Amino acid sequence: MSTPLEKARVLYVEDEEDDVFFMRNAFRKLGVHERFHAVGDGARAISYFAGQEPYADRAQHPLPTFVLLDLNLPIRSGFEVLEWLRGQPEFKALPVVIFSSSGRLEDRQRAEQLGATEYLLKPTSGSQFFETARQLTETWLGAVRNTAD
Amino acid sequence: MLSEYFTKLQRKPPVPALVVLYLACVLPMGWLRLGPLSDHPVTIGYGLPLLICLWYPERRLLWSLMVSYALISFYKVFMDAPDFAQQAPFTIWSLQMVNMLVIGLAVNIVIELLGSLREQKKKLEQSNQELMGRETEITRQNEELQSQSAELVQQNEEIQQQAEEMQQQAEELQVQAEELHTINIESGKRQAILQALLEALQSDDARDLPERICHLLMSLLGDAASAAVILEKEGNDLVVLAHAGPVGLPTRRWAFDRSFAAIVMGHNRTACVPDLRLRPDLEGAQTTERMFRSVLATPLRIAGKTAGVVKVYSDHQHEWTSEQFKIIEWMSAQCSLLMDSRRLQTELLRANTDLDRVVKERTAELQEMVNELEHFSYTITHDLRAPLRAMHGFAGLLAEEGGPSLNEESRGYLSRITTAAGRMDRLITDALSYSRAVRHEMPKEPVDVGRLLRGMIESYPIFQEPKARIEIVGELPRVLGNEAGLTQCFSNLLGNAVKFVPAGRVPQVRITSERHGDAVRFVCEDNGIGIPKELQSRVFVMFQRLSKDYEGTGIGLALVKKVVERMGGSVGVESEPGQGSRFWIELKAAENDALSA
Repeated sequence: MSTPLEKARVLYVEDEEDDVFFMRNAFRKLGVHERFHAVGDGARAISYFAGQEPYADRAQHPLPTFVLLDLNLPIRSGFEVLEWLRGQPEFKALPVVIFSSSGRLEDRQRAEQLGATEYLLKPTSGSQFFETARQLTETWLGAVRNTAD
Repeated sequence: MLSEYFTKLQRKPPVPALVVLYLACVLPMGWLRLGPLSDHPVTIGYGLPLLICLWYPERRLLWSLMVSYALISFYKVFMDAPDFAQQAPFTIWSLQMVNMLVIGLAVNIVIELLGSLREQKKKLEQSNQELMGRETEITRQNEELQSQSAELVQQNEEIQQQAEEMQQQAEELQVQAEELHTINIESGKRQAILQALLEALQSDDARDLPERICHLLMSLLGDAASAAVILEKEGNDLVVLAHAGPVGLPTRRWAFDRSFAAIVMGHNRTACVPDLRLRPDLEGAQTTERMFRSVLATPLRIAGKTAGVVKVYSDHQHEWTSEQFKIIEWMSAQCSLLMDSRRLQTELLRANTDLDRVVKERTAELQEMVNELEHFSYTITHDLRAPLRAMHGFAGLLAEEGGPSLNEESRGYLSRITTAAGRMDRLITDALSYSRAVRHEMPKEPVDVGRLLRGMIESYPIFQEPKARIEIVGELPRVLGNEAGLTQCFSNLLGNAVKFVPAGRVPQVRITSERHGDAVRFVCEDNGIGIPKELQSRVFVMFQRLSKDYEGTGIGLALVKKVVERMGGSVGVESEPGQGSRFWIELKAAENDALSA
């Protein structure tokens, strides 16, 4: 990965505020919450990537090094976001981890077809997000061991 | 008299008779000559006995008599030497001898003649007999010929008679052949008509049909028909459905009242008017029928009701025959039949099309409904899960972060919230699985159940030692099923097997297979709490939870049953309370040698 690990960031696309809360909480516990960014729907996610207002300021809204993407989103769905990303040359290789409560095979297959990097099932409880966040940080942010102590 | 005599001469004297005759001729002669007449010269006395030989034509007798007489004469003349023979004995003897010789020779000649006569007579008689025989033969042959001739005459008469009979039969046959020919032509015509009608039925244009029937009717009736028409009653009018021949129709609509059609339909039978001029009361006579002199009409039934008439016109006065009645009735029946079948065909076609359309519409509607429902249930469960996750998560956070400041009771409440949220999540998961099992396609393929089970045991710690002891006995055969479906089934069965055990007991599960014909039964035998007999029928029913002591949604076994049935298999249970349970799944074997595989 060309991006230095210190600059690695995650963008969580999620409409459920509680889920965003639990995930942010989990990243805070892991000590990497300043690298955690979230948007509430698919349209905003696309605006974020495209650098449109209100996300034009890259200092405040830097491009993430991986995306945690819910599927069931208002306005534009997670699939649409994924499709859009894969249609942009600069985001073709961007790791996109699907994070959905849907265990449907067709959703999983469609995500794979559209070029998702990984498919994670949302845990039953918000308190179990920590485990997910820990694995994600380890894999994509490379900053667990330093901060977990 | 002479012939009688000769007839007697023919007899050949027997030898004893010859001896008797010889003695009778010699002894008296000797006695007479040498006895009483020894002194008298007897000159011709010797000749007489010789004449006997004429009666008995035997030369031996003649000559023996002559020798004997010569000896007697010699003895009298020379030995006895009587007085009268003293002078010239030799002369006397010689004269006597000459005398006797002459007679003897004469007799001899006569005898010979007689012999030849007899011979000739014999020949004559013989030839005569032959002739007689031939004549008899000829007569017999003649008679035979005559009898044969008689027979011939008789036979001749019989032949004559038979010839006459044959002639008669031939004439009859000729008549029958002619009749047959006529019938043949007629039936050929009808067959051709039927053929034509059937073809008309096949043709796409239904309006053709009555038209064709009119033409066919005319061809069937020949010269008798000048025109044919089919009329249907519509309200108070008669509408021309079809016509053939020069029917100068002023209009396609006629008044029904007082028409001949009204009479025919009213009586519902075939009727005719031999001369229309005699029926000026008929309404139709004023129009079309004025052109024609006579009419024959029969009712036409459509869909079982008398709906019109079939009419045939003739342009001259005409007595319609019963044959023609039959023909028009037959044609009308054919017409009804064809029009009915045509109508039914059309209706059926329309009904079919309608049905097809309705089915398609309904299917589309149902499909839409199913899709909506699926979307609905997906959204609902998805949306239900988010607050559940929050509830569970915040309860966890509260317990974690605010734990020390909470009392025991509050912590208990938090734990109950967590448990309830967890149960609800399982409920949603199971309900989703069930609805998926009901809805989704389940393509069947050979599944290696042994591999599937080993993989499942390896993935879940609850199926492993020391939490449980699960044993797969022997190699399990491959079956025809859906791998995802079978995974669901076995994870539910194994999950139940390790869950429903008395507290403190290590679950022990044995999985075996049995061959039942072309099916394989997998048996999952546990050491759990068992199920009472009366409840066994309910374990596979949706939302039936049989124990409050164990966590569960009441969906698991219903799901197993549904999935197995959708794969064409069956499920069942054998159990005794406290003795553990034997749950089984039966599916079709993948191969015939599955048991040994």
